[in-house]
Amino acid sequence: MKILILFTVIVTGMILIYGTQDMPDWGDPNSPASTHVSPRYIKKTMDETATPNAVTSVLADYRGYDTLGETTVIFTAGVSCILILRVRKKRKKNS
Amino acid sequence: MFDFILNKYNYWIYIVLMMIGFYAMIGKKNLVKKIIGMNIFQTAIILFFVSTASKKSATLPIIEHSHGHEEHAIQVASYLNPLPHVLMLTAIVVMVSTLGVALAILIKVYRRYNTLEEDEILQFKK
Repeated sequence: MKILILFTVIVTGMILIYGTQDMPDWGDPNSPASTHVSPRYIKKTMDETATPNAVTSVLADYRGYDTLGETTVIFTAGVSCILILRVRKKRKKNS
Repeated sequence: MFDFILNKYNYWIYIVLMMIGFYAMIGKKNLVKKIIGMNIFQTAIILFFVSTASKKSATLPIIEHSHGHEEHAIQVASYLNPLPHVLMLTAIVVMVSTLGVALAILIKVYRRYNTLEEDEILQFKK
């Protein structure tokens, strides 16, 4: 069983390493991730949001609804932790 | 071939880390070790995304001399890509939430079965 699991893990790793052939080089300024939409955020962040930090302006301004949903995720996790760990008190009769 | 190693070795580090987490998730019997494996897996994905943001000879995506010098032209190539950083901030939040709920479920399992070993729990089913 251990051998089978180890085999699965190694085969998956080899497939992933084979897939890195098509990935952009590390630190390449012309990689697809940094040529399409992110230059617009870097250029316009001062004009549109007056925030020098581009991460902050994207997080709290351009994608504010995303952050709102994130707080919902945290809230749901907290509520479900309470619901899971709650110990119900047995009700006393006649009281 | 040497170029290939030099340009892509960062991805290989994350793949090795990810496979360590994957092995812990499917190979270990202890449920806490499975959760630790899941966290290593998620951390590898976060490192992978942050590494896609990198540009050579670029600095953090905080616009320099921004107040008072509005006439400066902004060189996009000298700032890192801010989007993967933002998305991974969200992913870290999800990671913490799943960790919290998973540990809460483990506490519940331990109260019910008095063990966290998977095979010992499965024996109760029979």
